[in-house]
Amino acid sequence: MSAAVKKVFDDYRVLSDEALQPEKPRVKEFLAAMKKSLQRDNWTFWLPYVLSLEACMKCGTCGEVCPVYQASGRKEIYHPVYRADMLRKIYKRYFTWPGRLFPALVGAEDLTEEKLNALAENVYRCTVCRRCAVACPMAVDNGVIVREARKILDAIGIAPEELKENGTAKQLQAGNAPGINTAAFLDMVEFLEEEIREARGYEVKIPVDKEGAEYLLMHNAGDYLAFAETVMGAAEIMHAAGADWTLNSPQTGINDAVNYGVFYSDAEFARIIKAQVETVKRLGARVLVVGECGHAFEAFKYLILRLIPEKERPFEIKSILELIDQWIKEGRLKLDPQKNPEPVTFHDSCKLGRLGGMYEEPRRILKAACADFREMSPNREMNLCCGGGSGFAIMEKGNFLEFHMETYGKLKAEQLKATGASIVACACSNCKAQFREIIRYHKLPMRYAGVSELVANALVR
Amino acid sequence: MPSIIVNGVEIEQDEDGFIQNPELWNEEVAKALAKQEGIEELTEEHWKVVNYLRNYYLQFQIAPMIRKLCKETGFSLKKIYELFPSGPAKGACKVAGLPKPTGCV
Repeated sequence: MSAAVKKVFDDYRVLSDEALQPEKPRVKEFLAAMKKSLQRDNWTFWLPYVLSLEACMKCGTCGEVCPVYQASGRKEIYHPVYRADMLRKIYKRYFTWPGRLFPALVGAEDLTEEKLNALAENVYRCTVCRRCAVACPMAVDNGVIVREARKILDAIGIAPEELKENGTAKQLQAGNAPGINTAAFLDMVEFLEEEIREARGYEVKIPVDKEGAEYLLMHNAGDYLAFAETVMGAAEIMHAAGADWTLNSPQTGINDAVNYGVFYSDAEFARIIKAQVETVKRLGARVLVVGECGHAFEAFKYLILRLIPEKERPFEIKSILELIDQWIKEGRLKLDPQKNPEPVTFHDSCKLGRLGGMYEEPRRILKAACADFREMSPNREMNLCCGGGSGFAIMEKGNFLEFHMETYGKLKAEQLKATGASIVACACSNCKAQFREIIRYHKLPMRYAGVSELVANALVR
Repeated sequence: MPSIIVNGVEIEQDEDGFIQNPELWNEEVAKALAKQEGIEELTEEHWKVVNYLRNYYLQFQIAPMIRKLCKETGFSLKKIYELFPSGPAKGACKVAGLPKPTGCV
């Protein structure tokens, strides 16, 4: 933390002074926004939210499975219950009768400006990985509490600029969060075609803005800049499968699968996904293929169901993993696992696995594409979050990188080492960005790869 | 807001050290930004990266793909990290006066 930034919670600050405005009185506003969050028309997670506020019996099970709490040396401030209680105490004090009348008896506490600032920072010490929700005997979901608290805070103007000004707002304005204009996008696609030609010795045409194509593939647009191998791999797969497919440029609307609203705001979430649906309709694709992005999968596969009626989204939605898995089964893609002889392990991204239930597709794919597939332990619903989740991978103000490297990152590095793998495969850009840093920070003798990249490398033509 | 003064001109930076107005960039500014990154001297290899980024940005108003940056400069990503310890986005782009990269990069 730089000396100029006021300490409000621990030694880190995710929210800039501009975003947090730590000196400004906001308790009243916060309580008004929280009141709204407790009304039934809070359409996303009202019931689990209220039940989670009510039902905790303080058994502490969640702390035993929380990567942050464990890796921090069991610091109380990082316990999931400590964090949830910051909101729970406000709930009890202002929104329940016993708490209004006898606050001391029910653990209710007045909200102060200091507590508000501390809460605003602490909801950004949790990636909403929801490993704790799997373990809780009462089915309390601390992840939902954290996300609702982020929503309340955003409603009063407190959100990280990486997610808001430079995230959802930029995506709506430019078509993608990195701000790639159409000329730059076309330059990138042309470069990727050249790269495939050079690497493989054959032509792969990458269609752009093709109206009426069967498949519209929407990547996390950050992949073009930072994880181009995933984009190339996907193009080779589409080509090898003989698919009628297209990418889209920003001149058609939104060409970025991300939706940072998932991390902090239903209003922003709704704006983005509506614009994405309009784009797909405009291009007339039969299937929207969501590229390798965890939270985009959650948004398109699940959250969309509650927001946009089926008749208003006349297309199928599939993860690229579902499509690859299907095409391997159908014999439409032929793979030779000997082309990937190195030991490969798979990281279950929280939003694909624990939240999306997509455990077997990537495993079937990797076993078909790699000669030596190794599970990391634990895996599937108990896998450890890498620490890039809910936007952490792109939040690096001050020394915040150290926070996600020394907590989630430290446990993940140990888990990776134990596999003996030289490649960690994953299907989420936040995970890739986090692995890029984990491998450097913890000096691991391995690399990360997108699932599409490994599949493309194993293609038999 | 932090800022640096180069040849008497005050140049505003964002919290992460990226200059706010890319038009105020020049070689002296690059040297000053490099110092903030802990790079004492910009070598020919540094300039190769910086100039490529700068020219790409002027043409397309965005940073190039990292893969393209490596290819066009002939440097591996490892080499770019050696030159710019904060990496291509947070280090090299900063010295080249580009705005802070956004989105999942």
